[in-house]
Amino acid sequence: MTQVAERPANAEPDADVVLRAVDITKTYGVTRALKGVNFDVRRGKVTVLFGENGAGKSTLMKILSGVEQPTGGVLELDGEPVVLASTNDAVARGIAIIHQELNLCPNLSVRDNIFIGRELRTRRGDVDYAREARITRELMERLEEPIHPSTLVADLRLGQQQIVEIARALAADARILIMDEPTSALSAAEVEVLFKIIDDLTADGVAIVYISHHLEEAIEVADHAVVFRDGELVADRSAEGLTLPWVVAAMVGREAEYDFTGAAREFGEVALRIEDVRVVDPDAGGRLAVDGVSIDVHAGEIVAVYGLMGAGRTELMEALSGREPIASGRAVLGSTDLAGHSIQERIALGIGLVPEDRQRDGLVQLMTVGQNLSLASLLGAVRRGFVSRKHERGGIDDQIRDVRVKTAGPEALITSLSGGNQQKVVIGKMLLTRPKVLLLDEPTRGIDVGAKGEIFSLLFREAERGLAVLYVTSEIGEALTASHRVVVMSKGRVVREFDPRTCTREEVMAAAGEAGGDVHPKEPDSE
Amino acid sequence: MFRKLTTAAAALVVTVGLAACGSSDSGSSSSGSAAAGGSGGGGGTIAVITVDPSNPYWKAEVDTAVAEAKKLGYETTVDAHGNDADKQNQFIDGAISKKVKAIILDPAGADESVGAVKKATDAGIPVFLVNAEIADQGIAKSQIVSNNAQGATLGAQAWVESVGEKGEYVELFGNPTDNNAQVRSDGYTEVISQYPDLKLVQKETANWDRAEGKAKMEIMLRAHPNIVGVVSGNDEMALGAIQALKDAGKLDQVKVLGFDGNQDAANAVKAGEMVATVLQPIVQGTTLAVQQADAFLKDGKTGASTEKQAIDCVLITKDNVDTLDNFVLSE
Amino acid sequence: MSDTLAPPRETRPAATPPPAGRFRKPNWNALLVEGRALIALAIIVVIFASLSPNFLDPSNLILMTRHVAMNAILAIGMLMVILNGGIDLSVGSTVGVTGVIAGYLLQGWDMPLTQLVAYPPVWVVIAASVLIGALVGWVNGVLVSKLNVAPFIATLGMLYVARGIALLITNGETFTKLQGEEGLGNTGFITALASAPLGIPMPVWFMVAFAVVFSLLLNRTAFGRWLYATGGNERAAELSGVPVKRVQTIVYVLSGLCAATVGLLLTADLPAATPRAGEFYELNAIAAVVIGGAALSGGRGTIRGTLIGAFVIGFLVDGLVLVGVSVFWQQVIKGAVIILAVAVDQLQQSLQKRRALRRVAAATNRPGAPRPA
Repeated sequence: MTQVAERPANAEPDADVVLRAVDITKTYGVTRALKGVNFDVRRGKVTVLFGENGAGKSTLMKILSGVEQPTGGVLELDGEPVVLASTNDAVARGIAIIHQELNLCPNLSVRDNIFIGRELRTRRGDVDYAREARITRELMERLEEPIHPSTLVADLRLGQQQIVEIARALAADARILIMDEPTSALSAAEVEVLFKIIDDLTADGVAIVYISHHLEEAIEVADHAVVFRDGELVADRSAEGLTLPWVVAAMVGREAEYDFTGAAREFGEVALRIEDVRVVDPDAGGRLAVDGVSIDVHAGEIVAVYGLMGAGRTELMEALSGREPIASGRAVLGSTDLAGHSIQERIALGIGLVPEDRQRDGLVQLMTVGQNLSLASLLGAVRRGFVSRKHERGGIDDQIRDVRVKTAGPEALITSLSGGNQQKVVIGKMLLTRPKVLLLDEPTRGIDVGAKGEIFSLLFREAERGLAVLYVTSEIGEALTASHRVVVMSKGRVVREFDPRTCTREEVMAAAGEAGGDVHPKEPDSE
Repeated sequence: MFRKLTTAAAALVVTVGLAACGSSDSGSSSSGSAAAGGSGGGGGTIAVITVDPSNPYWKAEVDTAVAEAKKLGYETTVDAHGNDADKQNQFIDGAISKKVKAIILDPAGADESVGAVKKATDAGIPVFLVNAEIADQGIAKSQIVSNNAQGATLGAQAWVESVGEKGEYVELFGNPTDNNAQVRSDGYTEVISQYPDLKLVQKETANWDRAEGKAKMEIMLRAHPNIVGVVSGNDEMALGAIQALKDAGKLDQVKVLGFDGNQDAANAVKAGEMVATVLQPIVQGTTLAVQQADAFLKDGKTGASTEKQAIDCVLITKDNVDTLDNFVLSE
Repeated sequence: MSDTLAPPRETRPAATPPPAGRFRKPNWNALLVEGRALIALAIIVVIFASLSPNFLDPSNLILMTRHVAMNAILAIGMLMVILNGGIDLSVGSTVGVTGVIAGYLLQGWDMPLTQLVAYPPVWVVIAASVLIGALVGWVNGVLVSKLNVAPFIATLGMLYVARGIALLITNGETFTKLQGEEGLGNTGFITALASAPLGIPMPVWFMVAFAVVFSLLLNRTAFGRWLYATGGNERAAELSGVPVKRVQTIVYVLSGLCAATVGLLLTADLPAATPRAGEFYELNAIAAVVIGGAALSGGRGTIRGTLIGAFVIGFLVDGLVLVGVSVFWQQVIKGAVIILAVAVDQLQQSLQKRRALRRVAAATNRPGAPRPA
């Protein structure tokens, strides 16, 4: 099963290489996240890591930053083998990581966050706040974000918080800065600032390792690109000639296996009518996350909701599922207004959600595959007050077969499955409730291409049987190849609808507000 | 009625405390509430700070203090610290800020309470201790305690007489963190050790608790089926042991000694199930404390010759049990 | 990313061919967790049996089992709450308050606003006490599920409230006239709850009945599955349509019911209703549940394990008395056994995990790419 990553041509010694990963492997339980990766980080360069979710990028980052230790292989820093036993260890050697989820204490000031764990001391041994504040001010000036050192982090915008993270790395004299999805929460203007900072840092000789799902953005910033797939480094090239098609082809390794644009289009009645729905952002009181959305979904139809993070898609899904209240407007299932119905009642009525975060919201990790599958439909198997093993098992077996879960059996622990199979279980669980409308939030997040195709085949098969599907996706290719209709959301509103058979990728991305400015000048890709 | 009691034999109370809030105008156990009071009464307010109300013993203490104070023309406030020195401190602070005339305190620990008493005294509020003492003298105006050692001696003597001078016996020990558990145990041992043929085969703690006393007794009966007696640090444990003996059909062969003189124990003595119990005259001690407080407030003297006053306990046997009513012996 | 390494059994379509049958034995883990408590119990029995000839005497075993039963019933209720990821600190006080209510009603109930004293029949007394226990649990449940008070805090508060109510009812005294009177038709309380049909004491019968009923509840009903699911992942359970709030409320009611039962059994056993009955019982119940392999974070635990945990504690406590270990050492030993039992569990789990990782690593980590340069 193990393949050796092909080593790209540039094998001659390279004085610019500050950090080298040699034949790194990493396993979690039964999952092999990295299978012998060789990888260089160069001084003053931005090395971009491409790869789909689950390809092994994040795992490699965790190893480079000391969060985790490799199962096998060696890290070399300046040509010397090192062991990074902890993040502190890594920081001490000049390697800092800025995580996708910011690691700041919101209740502390900017200054305190920058020096947390490495407080400067006076000679008497107490914290030298004055010096800390001075250094903080200098750093913020260098980063062109004049935030006062005693500002609380909670009071900063996300973009500013990211800059505080960068300042923290710089304060630790980081020579190698790892940025994991640094732009996911930033506005376009903030992204510009970030890129300028990256330019400045590389000019100063800092090596940057950059990961982003925004391929175009990442291509722009890259000096060097490597592509991961299934735990292996599969391609590697300099910025010269780096194009989106090359990246996509390398990431996918083949053309996407699925294309459902030709699927049957025989729709029934309107199964779910969303009328002018507004949803309050649960995290930011008063702000509307969903601001007047209307969508009709017909029986047998698969509608993809495409948009950027923060467009209000997840909030729409949660409101439809019953987890968050609908502030105004109506959602009507068949002829039933969903208002006032609990999640349980909505599932009984025929609408259920497959949530975005599988681990947090989708699975009960302590339970078996079978118990997870039957959880939502358990009442259907109750006979005379007790769960009938026969009826429960029947449904489980059918569903394992139907959604093609690869498992040792219903008794296997759910955590023994791969991400794709876990997702199939979550979907299978909702299908067992015999829904009329299935909501899915990022159904293919973090699963491999093959499983994605299987999941969409499954959805299209169910759609042919009359299921209405409304799903959220951030992957443009997915929206265009696996839906009957694409609805684009931006800032809480539906901005446009497209027929995936006739629209172009650029039109859709432009509608989502993604291709504004000159950030994405790259040519249309294939796929 | 209380006056009559005071003249009765002396005795006193022991240790731990529990307090309840209650006011009563008779010796019976009716209860009421002593509200935090303004300065309505002739003499102002006396703060009564006790231990925990669930035990009838401390309830009697509170009832007595409240009733006696009322009789002498004082309002009362009642608090219960549950043997928690921090809570005791809070109540002392509260009493100081309410500017009470005097404090009747059943202290939470001999060492822990010194500071609290001093604080009140420094604030000009005289403190009168009942039931337990503190480690220092010269701070409180009087410390009225029961003579536990003497009581244990009385009880042990009566028990030896009943058991005969020979055989195996077991002991139920109180909560080990409570000083009185040790004092009583020592008192028993002192007497019983004079009879070499009486052999202590096991000593278990049951934390003053009836249910635990029963469970421990049941197991000890397995290990030592031939015992002839049980000495217990308090009535509750003794009553648990009696039930265990009853269930095992061995109550005839085993003589049980209690301590405290509570109502259930009195009934058990009456029924011949308990050889004897020892009454701590909490009513007398408390009455005395309130009276001394009153005297001190009126003319600056408690009327007692010493600060520390030990009141002797009274043995309750079948002979005098009929005169016992709710910790009060009538004559 | 490879799929599970476990071999396909009845699965169609076939899974990826497994490299070996290493991860077989699906219930191995569960067995070990309970096995650990069982081993502890076996060790305790062997040690005490060798130290005291009385230990294995049938009548002594029955006696100790009666002592165990009280804690076991409480622990069964506690298990419900702990499976949900909560904790119920109020059970000891609930034991006290329900016992006192039974005692109060048996002594005669001064009906408010009238001069009448009611002497309800024994079944009414029992039903009323059980209802009160359920009510206490329901209040806990509502506080936790509807008002989002942390279980520790809600039930800690209830610990004081219930104990205070017990004291208020008795005014600090103990009710001892529980035998009732023929003329009043309220006799039989003690016989009903403290007799020993077929030589087995009532508390033991109750323990067995509760264990059977709650086992069925956990393993055979939708509620049981929902309970494991909410404890394992509340958000996932909620999105699966599990009425998580209702489940959360019900577990506290169940715990209250168990506590009320113990309150009645204890009162009949003494026989006396004292307001301080059940003090600190919650701690033994929690210890039994935890020794029995339940996770305090919820979602993991069984009735069988909990019963074994209760026997470990009960036999240990009684065994130490039986062989005459000094009072202070008893506490040290009891505490050490609790810690040891749980620590061994954790150690075992992390060892297993590490061993599994190492095996996978050995299989994966073969000679890699030629080193660059």
